[in-house]
Order: sequence, then C-alpha cells, then structure tokens
Amino acid sequence: MGFHDQISSLVEDTQRSLAMFGPELTLCGTIVLLLLSRLILGDRLSSTLVAFAGTVVALIFALFSWNEIAGTSQEAFTGMLVVDTFTVFFRIFLMAFGVLFVIFTWRSGIPDKEDAADFYTLALGSLLGMCLMVSANHLLIVFLAVEMASVPSYVLAGILKGRRKSSEAALKFAVYGAGAAGIMLYGISLIAGIVGTVHLPSAGQSLANIMANDPSGGVLWVLGLGGLMIMVGLAFKLSAVPFHFWAPDVFEGAAAEIGGFLSVASKAAAIGLLVRMAVGFGYAEEPQHAEPVAQQAASQQALADQSPGTNAAAANPEDGVFVSTNSAQDGAQQPSDNEQENTSEQTPANDGAEDDGAAAEAPSEDAAHTADSLAPVRTYISYLVGLLAAITCTFGNMAAYGQTNIKRLLAYSTIAHAGYMMFAVAGALPLIGTSTSNAEYHIASLAFYVVTYLFMNLTAFAIVAFMRNRTGSEEISDYAGLIRTSPGLVVCFSIILMSLIGLPPLAGFAAKYVVFSTLAESGLMLLLMIGAINTVISLFYYLRVVKAMCLEEPAEGQQPVTFPIWKSVDGWFVLVLTLPVVVFGVFWGPLHDWALAACRDLLP
Amino acid sequence: MNLLAEPVGASHFMAVGAVMFVCGVVCMATKRNGLGILMGIELVLNGANLNFVAFSSEFLRRNTEYALGVDGQLIALFVIVLAAAEAAVALAIALNYYNNHATIDVDRADELKG
Repeated sequence: MGFHDQISSLVEDTQRSLAMFGPELTLCGTIVLLLLSRLILGDRLSSTLVAFAGTVVALIFALFSWNEIAGTSQEAFTGMLVVDTFTVFFRIFLMAFGVLFVIFTWRSGIPDKEDAADFYTLALGSLLGMCLMVSANHLLIVFLAVEMASVPSYVLAGILKGRRKSSEAALKFAVYGAGAAGIMLYGISLIAGIVGTVHLPSAGQSLANIMANDPSGGVLWVLGLGGLMIMVGLAFKLSAVPFHFWAPDVFEGAAAEIGGFLSVASKAAAIGLLVRMAVGFGYAEEPQHAEPVAQQAASQQALADQSPGTNAAAANPEDGVFVSTNSAQDGAQQPSDNEQENTSEQTPANDGAEDDGAAAEAPSEDAAHTADSLAPVRTYISYLVGLLAAITCTFGNMAAYGQTNIKRLLAYSTIAHAGYMMFAVAGALPLIGTSTSNAEYHIASLAFYVVTYLFMNLTAFAIVAFMRNRTGSEEISDYAGLIRTSPGLVVCFSIILMSLIGLPPLAGFAAKYVVFSTLAESGLMLLLMIGAINTVISLFYYLRVVKAMCLEEPAEGQQPVTFPIWKSVDGWFVLVLTLPVVVFGVFWGPLHDWALAACRDLLP
Repeated sequence: MNLLAEPVGASHFMAVGAVMFVCGVVCMATKRNGLGILMGIELVLNGANLNFVAFSSEFLRRNTEYALGVDGQLIALFVIVLAAAEAAVALAIALNYYNNHATIDVDRADELKG
C-alpha cells in the first residue's frame, strides 16, 4: 500500500470514527468553550449554564447514536476504540450523570462563581476520560483513559483550596493514584511484550495461541504477574481492598459533590473497563476461517486418497489435520504435494483405519481447543476478581460500622458496593466458555446494577450536601430528630438507605438479586454466601442512620434543621432522584431489557 | 539463562526496566517526602517505558512476530507526555498542601483517618 493510499484510508477512517464520537466531541467543545468564555466574555456567561447545555447536548448525541450502533460492533480510530451498544449504554449513563451532576452542583453551590469554570472543566474532562475507559480497545487507551479520568479528579478533590482536610485528601488521592497507574502501566508493558500486540482483541487471540501451545512456566508467571499489576490499577479506580485507602479519606476531605462524582461515575467507568479487559483477555473469537479450512483439508484428503501416486498420504488422515492447523495459524498457506509427502514421512503413520469423516472433524475440534485454551485465563481473572470482591465487600461493610461522619460511612458503603459489582464480573466470566449469550445476560445484570446505583448514591450524596449547606456539618448526630421538622426528607433518605441495603421492593433489591443470580448460575456458592452475609451486616449501619433520624433526640440546645421537601428546588431534586429507586424496584423489566440489549454485542 | 553471556536482547532491557520499577516502588513505599514519592512514580513509569521500547524493536526479539513495532514507541511517547501532566498536577497539589500544612511530609497527613 502506497503512502497516498494509506493517508486516504486514514482520512476515511477518521471521518467515519468522528461520526461515532459525537458525545465526546461535544464534551471537548464544551471544555474549550468554558475556558474561552471567561477569557472573552468575563462573567457575563454563566459557566454552569455552559456546562449544563454541553452535557445535555452530549446526552442527546449519545441517545441518538443508540439506534445507529445497535447490533454492530465497530472499531473507531484505527482500532483504538470500540463502539458497540455497551459503549453507548455507558456513554448515555455517564452523560445523564453529567446532566444530573451539573444540576446538583448548581443547587448545592460548591463551585462558587469564581471556581465554576475550572470545576466544570475538570469534571467534564474527567467524564471524557471515563467515556474512553468504557470504549477502550487498545492497551494504550486503557492507560490513557484511566489517567484522563484520574488526573482531573485529583484536582477536584482539592478544589476547596483553603481547607486543610481538602488539601490532605487531594495529596493522598494523587499519590495513591499516580502510584497505582504506574504499576498498571508496568503490568500492561509485561503483557503487551508477551502477546506481541496492544490491540485488545488481537491480544486475546494471541493469548489463546500462546495458551494452546503449552507455554513454559516462566511465561505463565509473567502473564500472571502482569494481570495482577493491571488489576492494581483497576482496583484503585474501583476502590477495591487493598487499594481502597484513598476512598474514605478523599470522600471525607473533599466536598460531598466530589464524593458523588467519584462514587458513581468513576466507579461505573472502572467496572466498564474491567469488563472490557476481562472480555478482551478472556475471550477470543473463534477463528472465522476454521470451518472452510477443515473442509479444504477434507477435500485435499479426498484428492490425496483418489490419486494413486501419493502412497504415504493415503496412509494417515492425521496428516491433513497437521497441515490444516498450520494453515489456520499462518493464514492461507496452500500445502503442495511435496510438502505433504515430507510431513507424512516425518510423522509416523498411525491408525490407518480412521476414515475421512474423522479427519474432517478433528480440525474443528482443534479450533475449539484454541478458543477454549483461554479457560485458564478466565478462571484466573475470575478467581482474582472474586477474591478481591469478597475481601472488598466484607471489609467495606465491617469498617462502615463504626463511622460517625456520614460521608465516611457512605465511602465505606461505596467500597462495599464495588465488591458487589465485582461479584457480577467474577460470576459472568466462567460462563463465557459454556454459553456466550448466558455470559452476556449476566454482564447485563452488572449494567443494571450500575444504573440503579447512580440513583441511590447520587441522591445520598445530594442529601448530604444539602444538609451540609443547612447545618454546616456532616456528622450523623446532626441528623437526629429530623423526622419532626422535615419528614419528607427523612422518607426519601430512608428509601435510599433501604435500597442501598437491598431490601425489596426497591431498586437495590432488584440489582442485588440479578447479581447474586449470576453467582448461583456459575456455581460460585462461596461468593454467594459471602454476599448474602454482607447484606445482613450492611443492614446495621445503614439502619443506624435511619434510627438517628427517626428515634434519637437532638442534642441539648440544638434544633434540627427544617428541609421541606416540597418547597425548594433542592427538595424536588432529591424527590425526583428518589422516584426511580422505587419505580425500578417494582418495574425493573424495561431497564433490565435495555441493559441486556447493551451487552448483546459484547461477545460476538 | 546467563544474561551476561548472551547477545543483547529484550531481556537485558527488561532487566534494567525491572530494576527501575523496583527502585521506584521502594522509593514510593519508603520516602516520607511527598516529592520523593513523585520521583518514585516517575521511575516506575520510565521502567515501563523502557520495556515498551525494547519490545517494539524487531532486532531485540528472538521471535520477531511478537515485536510491538511502532505501537510500543508511540506508547512510550504518550507516557512521557502523561507523566509530565501528572507531575504538574501532583506538584500543584503538593504546593497546595504545603500552603495549608507548612510541610510536605506525608506521614503528617493524618487528619483524615478511621
């Protein structure tokens, strides 16, 4: 291919890809506009308004791309990104979160007028990185996207410049985050070196070939170590134990708005990336040309049988098998008669009684063997994720028990929920080997969980932020006796907390139910038990907040604040976000179907 | 396999990269100065970069079809840019921390715990 051809094909590819890149481009445009508008117009154009308009347009783009993408899986930008319904699902999710987040911050007033442009620039930049995370198809993009999502959030954690706690939170976040990213990059370099490609689907294929050829112990060690190191980076983003240390500190030190941002959007993107990586390395498309090659081998065999000159070829049908596996690996390598004779001389003639039918069957079995050679990889990833999930879940719930600060309690609750989400990945992976549609069904349960989690956690953090604006404090004791002054808020918050526990008939129950059913199906009963026990443990600390609101008396001389739910925009915001938690708890069919449609193209 | 007796290949570069990685991790774990930790992170990133560049070369790999080619070198370039961006942000955060606490000793960042 000449230079000119290459350039023109590149131009064509870029144009095609840009058309699929609408939401991200809108975010980029909004970021530039936010930075420039202050330069040119000064304070006349509200940054909040620009950010709101930008996220709404991006959401509309994302919604409209659903129908175009449905049923296809396209690679964009020369294979850097993959755009399928899974990508679009998470794009819609992230953009919808962006819209809600802008409304939330507008009401809670954390970025004051001075900071608003910086704040939204950083938040939208981070969202852009998260969109790339869920569409990553290349190991470079995996690392770049993780960094693009992380680096602005370090700054967001420290956006309250004068506060001691805020600056401490930002420092801890940045140091842990940069360290985890460095280790992840080293893991990526090890794996890329062994599989010899950085394109994720090709890496899966290459890994399947390596695993099929009985790799030496050293190679397996390096692969395992690389996987472990990549998991460090992902576990940091997911705030999974033992890389969770930053989460409680950052959530307590940073504003509640940032807590909501990190616990919902960042976590959803991380779990999306975990699925992409797990599927990328744990699933290789069966070679498309396997069947034709098998037929070709059989026909050659028949030819060889008919021609009387080739005496050796008639002796062993195994010969055809040998050649066909070779050509399956090396592309269309046409074996000549000479080669065939040579190989047949080398291989001892065994089982001359085998008929042609067996010879035709054997190659397809061999192709299945290549695809199935990834089973140990899947088991490894599944056990690794499952182990982390079990520890994360248990630790998060245990540590949440003694907390007095509501943001810290929600941080540990976030950690525990990361564990539940990872359960779904651990449960779905082993199913890929037996039935891909079944595995897709169970990854859909994860997508469903993520959506319900948005409403639960964003509402919880919104209530915390609005209460902070009224009381100036974030201790659980400040919520005492709230039922008398603002019953509407208490009802909403109780519903959210019950849903976080997973009590029926709320959305949290439906989400937990579908995730646990995954574990039951893939036979990970130990994980299922750990999950169930954890649900019981979590009951206590969530209900402690409800108890404080409903039963406890406020401290001497302290008057509980009034937060009428009907009479303020804040209240309506909380109410509107609580509604889906109730609705999805009862009518979760449509949402689950949508999640299912999103995961249909994940395993082609 | 004796590395000293062999012609220079990817393994030698990997050995240097691994040494840089370990130095970086030890630096991150033991330094109490915030800037020292950032230096450790740079070492880790550069160790990984060395791996990528070594893997990208066809002349260093025994099995040339597993060479990353230009991909590896591009990744190294991107990582250099990203490391710079990350260092800029981390230094700004460290400066902000210093303004509030008059120290960048990370052991004294203990107001948030529990």
